[in-house]
Amino acid sequence: MTVETFAATGAASSGITLERKTLKALCRRSDLPGLIYLGKWALALVISGYGVYLALGTTWVWLAALIYGTVLSVPVYAMSHETAHGTAFRSRWLNETVMWICALLYLEEPLHRRYTHTNHHTYTWHVGKDSQISDIPMTFPIWLDEVSGFGLIRSHFRILTQLAAARYTETMKSVIPADEFPRLRRNAWCFLGFYVAIGVAIGLGATWLWWFLVLPTLLGRTVMLLFTVIQHVEMAENSPSILNSTRSCKSSPIASFLYLNMENHVEHHLYPQVPFFALPALHRELKDQLPTPDPGFWRTNIEVLSVVMRRSLGRGTKARTIRQAPHMITDGGTAP
Amino acid sequence: MTKEVYVCETADIDEEDVKRFDYEDQTYCVYHTPDGFFASDGYCTHEEQHLEDGIVIDNVIECPLHQGRFDVRSGKALSAPVCVDLKTYPVVIKDGRVYLCLETEPVT
Repeated sequence: MTVETFAATGAASSGITLERKTLKALCRRSDLPGLIYLGKWALALVISGYGVYLALGTTWVWLAALIYGTVLSVPVYAMSHETAHGTAFRSRWLNETVMWICALLYLEEPLHRRYTHTNHHTYTWHVGKDSQISDIPMTFPIWLDEVSGFGLIRSHFRILTQLAAARYTETMKSVIPADEFPRLRRNAWCFLGFYVAIGVAIGLGATWLWWFLVLPTLLGRTVMLLFTVIQHVEMAENSPSILNSTRSCKSSPIASFLYLNMENHVEHHLYPQVPFFALPALHRELKDQLPTPDPGFWRTNIEVLSVVMRRSLGRGTKARTIRQAPHMITDGGTAP
Repeated sequence: MTKEVYVCETADIDEEDVKRFDYEDQTYCVYHTPDGFFASDGYCTHEEQHLEDGIVIDNVIECPLHQGRFDVRSGKALSAPVCVDLKTYPVVIKDGRVYLCLETEPVT
């Protein structure tokens, strides 16, 4: 193939450099961190699930289901993302097994997730090219639809039914090879069958599926989406630099655990081949070249909510404590 | 006809590592794996991303952009998002030196 320049969004397009030996050491794969993670996650699920069990029959069950659902949903998202990259484990069979289980719980056919996520990395936050971009600039109704989880559930079931019915969208056709579609179609039917079986089982009296799977998934998704909504919102669209399009945040140890260190989101987009357990080390290596991470999960989310509400009310949109693309800042006036 | 093009010394590529090699108007990757030295086209078959920054695990090169994987011994595409095999080239080792074997145009 002829030598040519290619500018997928990443370290090179962002002017970030890292010594090859250091990068290679950070990329080293291992099964152990992922297996330890799965063990800790299982323990957290048992403990928080026991809370749901104790609260059954009381109004506290909703709070318990929210906590358990957060422990379930955030790692399901994060692990489905990590395994879609293939970086969670050194052993491929282990990576693919976990990817399938998490994809089933995340409601997205795994190959669709893997293929469509590629263009999120090639064209990070590029309008019309990045299939994971949201409406820009974000307003309160869009934020509510996104964070409530309704938008994602609608999107996931629309994709599953489109795949099952072989009604492939232009986005799908642009990122998925044609000879892969029969596999995706078969998988979509399996996924839909699984979800129908869950619904039928609950209808026949298996209410534990409602309390321990469906309700926690619905409630926990909101928290999961609060993690994901701040990855790029208010940052610059159509920029070749990940530093302009993507946000990293400081994080508590619990949030880092649930999110598989993905609060280092700038670092992940710069070097997506680095596994989750090496992201803190990658951050330390790059921090002199990167902007200071935004405040933690709650403060960043509150600031984002404040900005999108003010935008919807036609007021000034300058954020005080988080990074924001200059053209996202307005003095107010007409509400969009 | 084939010609052997000098790439580097064997010690220049660590085991489980890859080196970019540009020759004339083409670009290649040369790999050092536990099974020996191998070579392929430089760019991933999925998108135009050079594999020089990829990670080599056993006999597999993983693309740095989307983590598509190829077996460097055969060029076989192993997992999504890559589906098209990578073109490979023979490599010979002589006196601790790595040579890439390339087809040459027949002289008419």
